[in-house]
Order: sequence, then structure tokens, then C-alpha cells
Amino acid sequence: MLETRNLDKSFGAVHVTRDVSLKLERGERRVILGPNGAGKTTLFNQLVGELTPDRGTVHLAGEDVTALPVAKRARQGLSRSYQKNTLFDGLTVEENLGLAAAIHTGNATTFWSDSLGKAEVREIVKDVANQVDLMPFLHAKVSQISYGVRRQLEVGVALATRPLVLLMDEPTSGVGPEMAKGFHDLLNNLPRDLTLLIIEHDMDLAFDVADTITVLNYGEVVFDGLPDAARGSDLLKEIYLGSWEDA
Amino acid sequence: MFHHTPLRYAALVLLASGALFQAFTAQYFGLEILTEILILAMLVLALDMVAGFGGMVSLCHGALMGVGAYGYAVLSTTAGLTPPVAMAAAVGITAGISWVIGAICSRSHGIYFIMATLAFGQMAYSYVFEAPIFGGDDGLGGIERLDLSAVGIDLNDTRTFALFCLVALAAIYGLAVMVLRSGLGRSFSGVMHNEQRMRALGLTVWRVKADVFGLSGMIAGFAGVLAAQHIMYISPGLMAWTVSGEALVVVILGGLGTLVGPLVGAAVFVVLKHELSSLTTYWHLIVGVILIGVVMSRANGIFGFIEDYFAARSKAAVATPKATEVTKDA
Repeated sequence: MLETRNLDKSFGAVHVTRDVSLKLERGERRVILGPNGAGKTTLFNQLVGELTPDRGTVHLAGEDVTALPVAKRARQGLSRSYQKNTLFDGLTVEENLGLAAAIHTGNATTFWSDSLGKAEVREIVKDVANQVDLMPFLHAKVSQISYGVRRQLEVGVALATRPLVLLMDEPTSGVGPEMAKGFHDLLNNLPRDLTLLIIEHDMDLAFDVADTITVLNYGEVVFDGLPDAARGSDLLKEIYLGSWEDA
Repeated sequence: MFHHTPLRYAALVLLASGALFQAFTAQYFGLEILTEILILAMLVLALDMVAGFGGMVSLCHGALMGVGAYGYAVLSTTAGLTPPVAMAAAVGITAGISWVIGAICSRSHGIYFIMATLAFGQMAYSYVFEAPIFGGDDGLGGIERLDLSAVGIDLNDTRTFALFCLVALAAIYGLAVMVLRSGLGRSFSGVMHNEQRMRALGLTVWRVKADVFGLSGMIAGFAGVLAAQHIMYISPGLMAWTVSGEALVVVILGGLGTLVGPLVGAAVFVVLKHELSSLTTYWHLIVGVILIGVVMSRANGIFGFIEDYFAARSKAAVATPKATEVTKDA
């Protein structure tokens, strides 16, 4: 469903991703691990088109999308959520979801009718709000909801475009342990045919959700395999998991 | 996202009542001032659509109004088209030019967007100023008003023309509300809030900006057509950047991003201009001081100040229990 071949990106003398090749099958849930500065977010930015790789290609559903702009990739089914909330603060939860759903249903550019009044848009809004537990907050403005609920909305907005592949950059970033547990259920309850690529530092969530694990270090893929193999990998313990296992 | 509040409805009713009262009771000079207010109100509505709801602070809307005015003048006089056809063509041409400007400038933001639109406006002004077909700096005269005599309406009558402009303004206000509440308007507002996210969700951002700028330019062009019919003469001064600057002043004075505020601003500005200019030639200084006062007050213009006042009052009313309730509790 999503494939990268030999992705390379440098900023001046700093090599941020080196020869990264990944292949995600339809419905696969892969977690990307790696210490800070490993190039995880830079990899995401290249996948969605916010950054152009120096070398290598990105393929979505078998098509080379490397040259496509961000919006076109999104319309082809590649959606993302951000590590830092990038919501529409002055709008309600419903309007936030509605903006994304309107784009997906082709109602975002009509100037004679309200997109939020369209049945297909309302259906997606309701569906996604149920999926990410936002029904009680539908009419609240983003500024009125808690940080944890905003994280749910961050994922919800990305889901409302009905993507084939959803990239999630640290969905539990900044939330407490209780809320993080809720995210386990939220991610596990997403449709099984949705391909997920998740950057996550919460190891419990990572091993709970992941079908496969990829570890980046200094921009390079140093591990690519099953969660059980990742747990037993000495290399991983050395570069990343040591502190977690000791704790 | 635009929405009406009871206060906004009340303001609209008050403004419409005031305009109707003036239209039916005023003499020639009062009717001229009313028409000037109504045409300026159309221009500032157009500007508020893009500046207040999309962050596209344009300094070429005066020039776009001029495109509509010159388009109508040339098509109805030199080209010999009938006024309705010339009106439609002039408005259409202005919409097309605005769309192109919007598309080109859509990638720039803030001060760069302002400068880019200013450049387009100045290019149009310079061209019209020099081009013989547009009468150069002498301008163009002999412009006819729309002929509605077939339905018993004589637009050459000052009062009837003022009423016609009032009806046109009401229709344009309705159009602006429809656009801002539509899928396009919601997307436009989303782009102002978070352009990067809208793009990441799959929106072709430049296209949305160009579409709304085109619709806004269409309204500015229509205001220009009416301005040409009002004075029956036009000169390049109509396209000077100061007209765009003045429109921006009116939007800020009234209340950016409220639609109703700019209507209030247009009325206040034109009345102030006429009243103060009869007292002193330095009337711009006084308007400047008022504008600085409005900006420094941190309220969103005159209408924003009124909205804040009523919001604070209703908040206080909720927070403070009535005397009878206190007595009862005691």
C-alpha cells in the first residue's frame, strides 16, 4: 500500500534520512521507533510531500507519488496527524471534522451550499466522532476542550479524509497515562483495512498496536521486523530500549 | 466562519431602516451622500470577504472597482453595447482579472501579499492613466445609467437610483453571506486558520483563494459599474491606491471579519468626510486620529466595540444574581 525506496534527505552537512526503504501492506500497522533526531518526522514529511527527498521514491497503492504535491497525495489517500496539534482553533470540533470531510466528498469548493449541511459530510463527521470518542464535544470550540481531547481530534481530522494510509506522528505526545490507555483502544478499534504508520515513544502503545516495527537511528533503518524480535534485539536495547527495559 | 448573531441582525435592521428613511425623505444632497455610502459599502463588503475571512489584505480593490467602472464605460459608450450587457460583461471581466490576481498572489502572505496586490493596482492605474481608449487623465464621460423604463423605473431620478443601489447592496450582502457560509467559504476560513493543515487534508489552497478573490473582485467590479453610473463620469483617480487604502480604513474602522461592521464603517466614514470637510480642509487628520483611537482600543472596530460591550454586559448579567434572588436565598 505504501512503499519507499532509498529515501535520502540532507540538510546541509546533516544527513537526516539515509537510504530508507519501507514496504507496508494493506491494513498493516507499523510503528517507527527511534531516539530524538533519528529522522522519523523528516521521513513523514517526505512521505506526505512536505519535504522533497534528495533521492529515492514514494509509492502509494502502486503509483509513484514522489513528484505529487501534498494536496494531491492527500486526495489519493495519504493522510497524517501531527506531533503538535494543528487544528482550527476558532472552530468547533464538528467544523474541524467537517472541513476534512468536505474535502474528501468534493464539497469544499462549492460556493452555493454549506458543506456541513450535506448528508455525506455529516455522515463522515458522525462516524469519525464515534471512532475517536468526540461525540460529547461535537459543538465545543477547540479552545474549550482539553489537550487530550485535542489529540483525539488531531487524529479525527486526519481520519475524516477517509485515507488509505494514515501517518500518525506521536499521537499520545503530551497526554497522561490514563489518556494514553484510551489511545490504545482508539487505535485498535480503527478499521483493519486502514494502513497505519505511527511514530511513537510510548513503548506499551507501540508494542500493543504494532504488527511490525521499524527502528531508525541517525536516519538509517537499523531494525525492521516483528515486535517480538524487536523486544529481543540487543541492538535496539543499546540504541533505544535500554532505559525502557531498565525502568 | 461567518455567522449572524441577534446583535448583527439588529444592526442590519437599523442600517436598512436608516437607509430607507434617508432614501424616502432626503433631498438631493442627502441622496447623493446615501448613494456614495451604498457604493462604498459594496466595495468594503468585497474587501472584508477576503481580508476578514481569509487574511488576504488587498490593496488593489480600488483598482478592481475601477476595472468594473472603466469596463462598463468603454463597453457602453465606445463599444456601443446596451447597458445590461455592458454591466454583465464589465462585472465578468473584473471577476476574471481578480481570479488571476488571486491565483498569482495566493502563494504570498502578509506584507508580501499586500505589496503584490498594490503592484497590480498601480499597474492598472498607470495603464488607464496613459491609455487613450480610457480617456487618459481626462477620464471618460457620457456614461448612461441602466434603463429600466420598460418596468416603470427611472434610474435617472436620484431617489430611485439610491433605492436601486440599496436593493443591490442587500443582494450583494446576501451573496457574500452565502459564499462565506458555503463549502468554499468554510475552506477559505480554514485556510486562514491553518493553511498547512488544509493542504495536508487535500485542499488545493491556491484555487480556493483565487475563487474567493474572484468573487470578491466581481462584487468590487459591480460597485465600480454603479459608481460609473452614479457620477456618469470616471477618471483614473478611481483606481488610485488611495481608494484601496481608504476601503481598508473603512473595513478596520467598522470591524474586520464581521460583514456588518464594514457597512457601519462606510456610513460613519462618508458622513464624517462630508461633515468634517465642511469644517476644515484637514479632515483627513481627524479621521486619522479616530482610526488610531479605534485600533489602539483593541476592539475590532466600531462594531467590534459594540459586540464586546454587549458580550460583557450579558456575561455580567449571568455572573451577578438579581437582587430578588439574593433576598430569596437569604
